[in-house]
Amino acid sequence: MKKLWRAPWFGPLCAVLAVYVLFALLAPDTFPRTANVLTMARQTVIVSLAAIGMTLVMIQGGIDLSVGSTVALTTVIVARALDGGSGPWAAAASGVALGACVGAINGLLVTGLCLLPFIVTLGSMSALRGAAKGLANEQKVDADPKGLDSLMALPGGAQGGFLLPTGVWVALALAVVFAIFLAYTRPGRHVVAVGSNLETARLCGVPVGRITLMVYVIAGGLAGLAGVMEFSTLTVGDPTDSIGLELEVIAAVVIGGASLSGGRGSIAGALCGALLLTEIKTGSTHVGLPNWVQEILTGAIILVAMALDQWRERGKGAG
Amino acid sequence: MTRGVGRAWVLLGLFALSGCKREAPAAGTSSDGGAKPLRIAVIPKGTTHEFWKSVHAGAVKASRELGVEIVWKGPLKEDDLKQQIDLVQSFTAQGVSGIVLAPLNDKALVSSVKAATGAKIPVVIFDSDLASEDHVSFVATDNRSAGKLGCAHLAKKVKDKGGAVVLRYQEGSASTNHREEGCLEALKAEGVKILSDNQYGGATTETAHKASESLLLAQGATEGKVAGVFTPNESTTFGMLRAVEKANLSGKLGFVGFDASDKLVAGVEGGAIEGLVLQDPFNMGYLAVKTMVQHLKGEKVEKRIDTGSKLVTKANMNEPDMKQLLRPELDQWLK
Amino acid sequence: MAEVADPRLEIRGLEKSFGGTRALSAVDLSIAPGEVHALLGENGAGKSTLTRIVSGVFAADAGSMRLDGKPHAPRSPAEARRAGIAIVHQEPAICPHLSVAENVVLGAEPARFGWVDRARVRAEAGRALALVAPELSPDAASSSLGPAEVQLVTLARALAQTDCRLLILDEPTASLAAPEVERLFEVVRRLASTGIAIVYISHFLEEVERIADRFSVLCDGRQVGSGAIAGTPATRLVELMTGQTLEARRRREPRTGGEVVLSARDLAGTRLPVSASFELRKGEVLGIAGLVGSGRTELLRAIFGLDRVTRGELRVRAELGPASPGRRLAQGVGLSSEDRKREGLAEALSVAENLTLSKLPAWVRPARQASAARRLIERLGIKTAGPDQPVRALSGGNQQKVALGRLLHHEVDVALLDEPTRGIDVKSRADVYAIIDELASQGKAVLVVSSHFPELLAICDRIAVMHRGRLAAATPVAELTEHRLMLDAAGVG
Repeated sequence: MKKLWRAPWFGPLCAVLAVYVLFALLAPDTFPRTANVLTMARQTVIVSLAAIGMTLVMIQGGIDLSVGSTVALTTVIVARALDGGSGPWAAAASGVALGACVGAINGLLVTGLCLLPFIVTLGSMSALRGAAKGLANEQKVDADPKGLDSLMALPGGAQGGFLLPTGVWVALALAVVFAIFLAYTRPGRHVVAVGSNLETARLCGVPVGRITLMVYVIAGGLAGLAGVMEFSTLTVGDPTDSIGLELEVIAAVVIGGASLSGGRGSIAGALCGALLLTEIKTGSTHVGLPNWVQEILTGAIILVAMALDQWRERGKGAG
Repeated sequence: MTRGVGRAWVLLGLFALSGCKREAPAAGTSSDGGAKPLRIAVIPKGTTHEFWKSVHAGAVKASRELGVEIVWKGPLKEDDLKQQIDLVQSFTAQGVSGIVLAPLNDKALVSSVKAATGAKIPVVIFDSDLASEDHVSFVATDNRSAGKLGCAHLAKKVKDKGGAVVLRYQEGSASTNHREEGCLEALKAEGVKILSDNQYGGATTETAHKASESLLLAQGATEGKVAGVFTPNESTTFGMLRAVEKANLSGKLGFVGFDASDKLVAGVEGGAIEGLVLQDPFNMGYLAVKTMVQHLKGEKVEKRIDTGSKLVTKANMNEPDMKQLLRPELDQWLK
Repeated sequence: MAEVADPRLEIRGLEKSFGGTRALSAVDLSIAPGEVHALLGENGAGKSTLTRIVSGVFAADAGSMRLDGKPHAPRSPAEARRAGIAIVHQEPAICPHLSVAENVVLGAEPARFGWVDRARVRAEAGRALALVAPELSPDAASSSLGPAEVQLVTLARALAQTDCRLLILDEPTASLAAPEVERLFEVVRRLASTGIAIVYISHFLEEVERIADRFSVLCDGRQVGSGAIAGTPATRLVELMTGQTLEARRRREPRTGGEVVLSARDLAGTRLPVSASFELRKGEVLGIAGLVGSGRTELLRAIFGLDRVTRGELRVRAELGPASPGRRLAQGVGLSSEDRKREGLAEALSVAENLTLSKLPAWVRPARQASAARRLIERLGIKTAGPDQPVRALSGGNQQKVALGRLLHHEVDVALLDEPTRGIDVKSRADVYAIIDELASQGKAVLVVSSHFPELLAICDRIAVMHRGRLAAATPVAELTEHRLMLDAAGVG
């Protein structure tokens, strides 16, 4: 029990359950319906995928502000690829590859030029947004999704079925893969070491540069995959899509127990954080809250989650 | 631990409840003896533009008259496509009686609307069209003729003075596209030279303002090379109005805009704007919800419903009809 | 110079320059297996540069190294590690978010196809920990370790290397208290007896005399002497290090303090101190002796208002009232932290900015700031390129002088000094003692915390011993010996 209480994802999970119960009480007819739960799971996929990558980056001690722009650029690339005659798999693969390339550029700038990740990704955030608009001729790009739209579609129609959309399975599988990567592999532990104390890691022979680069490439690739999922939802390439997504992703990761100064973070926690944000969004719709209340509520919940986490951490120190 | 956490959640709960109350009037009218009231989701493109406030008021009017409940919910960020899709999905999962939607994109919302109709939730589209046959009806201004109406007037004014420019809104937005095309048709029919019709104002007033300034500059408006200007919606019209005022061109060029707001009406009064094509957003909101209710009650509805448009100029702006269009009394519906 | 028959490490004519500055010139060194070799020199003499070349951080410009007869020219720390070179750095550093075991094996995790073998991590870490700190659990969270334990973990890390042949210890006792030093020596001797060659860097000559077999002294990047420790008096070593004969410290006549300026009665903090009572008078130096973790630093922090006081009474002159650093500074009480890097100095700022930080006028005039700084630089003998130089670029001793200089600039009446000579060279240490003397003779009150007892005996008028959070009554130094202090601090007196 004590171990559970100390797990970084325990708090966020409690919050997810508490908010679920809250909205289930406020909208008992609609909120707890299976169809609604499935819809929420589906709507969390994009933030979740990006949050897995962001968790790695933040544990390593960095930050990636270019996620939203990468997602938008990917939707455009995928749409252009489909439009140009490539098959759905090739288009999806090119989206992920593009994301990884973006990550590699971010990583190389951080390690090669010794620039702060905040600055580097602030720059790439703007540059990639511009690239997306340019590539899309400043308009939405129509393309036949050729089946890619089924990634995020519910099997068996909107109402029924207990099976989740493919995208949800993909996100869950990747979360497990990267959680294991962080906990049980050598490069995974090195990510934590670098974020915890960069100089020590360097002195101990940890290839700091390579680890940093790797983290940004993974995060970029996952952002690319999130972009593919976004395209699957939108079915058009939208260069103005996902403005501000990076903040939502960072919020999810921070709710999940990550520290902006590195060393701490949990993928399970980040998923809970992402789910929490979706719950608030959907719950507000069900209860009929105006947008401004929803925004205040979101901010308040982030702050409460942070305060609780801080308090829990302090308890840890004394114990 | 439990006490601290518990207290926090109670607080949040109170917060949520206090938010709830504000929407209460819409639900208060349902009293069809025992039967569950119809619950209709109305999803605009945004919630902060004046235009959408009028739509909201019209929808509220219909809901009160017909005794149904409406849930008014737009994307958190104005014009955010993903969020609008999410909203349609959420309302579908919620199982509302019907969805009334102003789609941000004519293709991207097709599959969500299909899913909704698949779940036996009918959809009425308003304001902008959707490239689909799944919806019950399309309730909107006939934008082509509205564009024509505005630019026929503009053409008369500038015919002998020189060319005209059209600042477009955004690619992929069907309604404004039709207005622009209708306008161009009318201008060409009168033989007015088109100086520019390939610039876009973009989503916000700010981007529209920037685009307007550079367009006026590029076409040499200050040297009198531009005689007429047409803008297809509120944000582009307002952006252009500011640009015209800044360049000291008020009254020197014929400027026909689209939609009304206090500042645009003041522009007409002051002479900076020659005329405004007005849709009837209040009527649009009203008719959209009414159409949905009629459909839900098993009545037959038209596939296409025109909500009408008018041209307001300095000359006719004080006529009662126009006054109601220009300064709709929204307070009784929204407060 | 004495030659070794089969040296573990042999260095010939090593040269290294940074930009235009020559850091090392023509350094020769040979160390036998099982030997503890003391590497001596003031800060900036080139010791760190030398060890960094051996451990693969830098490449030498010229010269050669041989490890067990084979050429040794590591291109990276990892390569040096593989060759059997382990190093424990002066600033003990760990990753607080990893477990103790993970810190021990960091960078050399036993893994198969990238998968960390957790059982082997625990086993290997446990083996290494058993040598140096058997009471530490491999699963413990590193964030909860004290500085001494951190030092032991870094030592265990060095030992966990497969086939460690040469171990470099850079000021390993800087953050250790006496009993831990004893344990460290035991470990060092045991390691040496297994044939590991040990390079031991320290400023504490009495330590060196006890642990080392031979020594080499560097001065300004040149090797100025080496030989067997036995038969070389400490004064000779100091002469070699400083390049001058240091006048033996004259024992000054005891001062008697004036009125009480700072007093505590039964003071307690959240965890430490448990109970502390003392009176500090004008014109005296009061020492607080205690082991690491006894609550000395916490006492100073509580006095200065950095930590909460949970019980007891604290008066500055006659004033009671809430404590905060701002209020204390206004009352003329200043604190110099033991941790220069993290707390004491703003490393990126200039010397002048650091000196004047606590007492900036509302309208800062850089010229005035610089001239004030210049006066202090001259008065304290700070070696710097000028007031504008970032503090980061200064040696440890000069950084410490800047930290003390800030208190002088603030014109404090009460100076709280936490480990004022930690990690600084012999010459700077003498300068710091002189500053403390000068403060006291000007009628200021000084409270010094140190784990180096001979130092306390030399500079203080009275000393109080702290043990497990409790501060005993102060005793005049005339009645004290180092032996007595040691026993009291260890709680066996």
